[in-house]
Amino acid sequence: MENYKNPSKQMKFDELFQLLNFCKTIQADGTDPFDLDVKKFLETLKHYHKKWKSLDDLLLDAEAIAELAKIIELQGKWIKDRSSSFYIDPVLLELKLKMLEPQQLATAFFKSWHPIISLDRITPQRLTEGLAYWNALLPLGERTDEFPLPSAVKSTFDIEDLIALNILSKTEFDDSIRAVLNELEERGKIDYHDFIYDDAFETSVKKAYLTSYLVSEGKAELDINPLEEEVFISPSNNNVNTPAAHTPSRSIPVSLSYEDWLRWRVKQKRN
Amino acid sequence: MESETEEELRIRTERKVKKAAQLLFFRRHRIPGVKGWELKKGLGEDYVEVIAVLNSVLDKLGMEVKRISDAGGEKEEGEGEKKAERDRFMIVLKSPVIEKASGERIDNVAMLSATLAYIISKQGKAQRKAVEDFLSGKFPKQRIYFALDRYIKQGYVGEDDKALYIGWRTRAEVDRKSLLDLILS
Repeated sequence: MENYKNPSKQMKFDELFQLLNFCKTIQADGTDPFDLDVKKFLETLKHYHKKWKSLDDLLLDAEAIAELAKIIELQGKWIKDRSSSFYIDPVLLELKLKMLEPQQLATAFFKSWHPIISLDRITPQRLTEGLAYWNALLPLGERTDEFPLPSAVKSTFDIEDLIALNILSKTEFDDSIRAVLNELEERGKIDYHDFIYDDAFETSVKKAYLTSYLVSEGKAELDINPLEEEVFISPSNNNVNTPAAHTPSRSIPVSLSYEDWLRWRVKQKRN
Repeated sequence: MESETEEELRIRTERKVKKAAQLLFFRRHRIPGVKGWELKKGLGEDYVEVIAVLNSVLDKLGMEVKRISDAGGEKEEGEGEKKAERDRFMIVLKSPVIEKASGERIDNVAMLSATLAYIISKQGKAQRKAVEDFLSGKFPKQRIYFALDRYIKQGYVGEDDKALYIGWRTRAEVDRKSLLDLILS
């Protein structure tokens, strides 16, 4: 733009752009709108007003006025909020919220809660309407157009699909499996849940997923004691290069839940 | 047309109050409550007066009819009839006398309580990311995403362009001033 080549004009633009950015930051971050000196802003605009010549200059001037108007509106809202009975210093409240136990927070909610009373009941008329709807409904075979997608999807996503969709790379996946196998080899035979559970539930689920591949590929073995409800995992004694496809495959469901993970963590902390 | 006797008026009012109670107690839509125009259709032009009579009956049972606007804010005295038709009417417990009125898990209620208090302290609107970060101090992220989506679906929290605000249900059910006082006390 021509204006930016002129040093004095560049200075004007810099100053105005700074003010505009400041206005936008206040709006985006919700900081105190009184941080902006409105009077000084207007004086700056007034100072440059007579020097504006091009359309770009005037557009910038108009944008500055528009942003300033938004800040003044925020200042009005700010005063209204602080004068209302709801105003509490956000920092103080955040601190207090962090200090409270979930039980205390729930109690505070219940004490200020006035639940809506609402009941659901099927009336004879609604039943009649339902029956009329049923009678008017065409058989499913004649309404295939209404359900095009479910019939098209025949299987779930597997790892190959994720790799094909570039969600996961083959190398990344192989590296993750290798890391889990190395860990298992280091730890030896171990309780399955002790092996997969980690400090975070998210990583525990991920590890369980990767471990299932190790078992499927014959690189790890599960030893299940149904009476004691114990499941142990150990690195396979067979040659890891031996394809597992030679042995008949079977599915072994092992439960994994958030509540169980929480209990495991509490137990770990106690130990 | 003959003028209505006092007895006839009493019977007609009783019938209308009964109908108003059924309209308000039983759910007709996904969202609980009834719009003013629906009440007007079911009860007649004097539906606001009928609701006032119902309110006095409910008061003895520790309940009340609450009127809230979808746009935000509760009813104000002297507001026009047109506005009343757009507002939503619902019955709420005036002062709960039972200890438990919900099957929600305690940690879910704690998260809701903290979310509402946080949003109120930010002048009624906060970035979803900021709320998630705040809650993540005590709860795993996955549970937070799930919980926030649920509060939005239930109407406790509204979402607009990645920002969360106080939802219609919180305005109807929660005494926000009392919630903040209890948290700070």
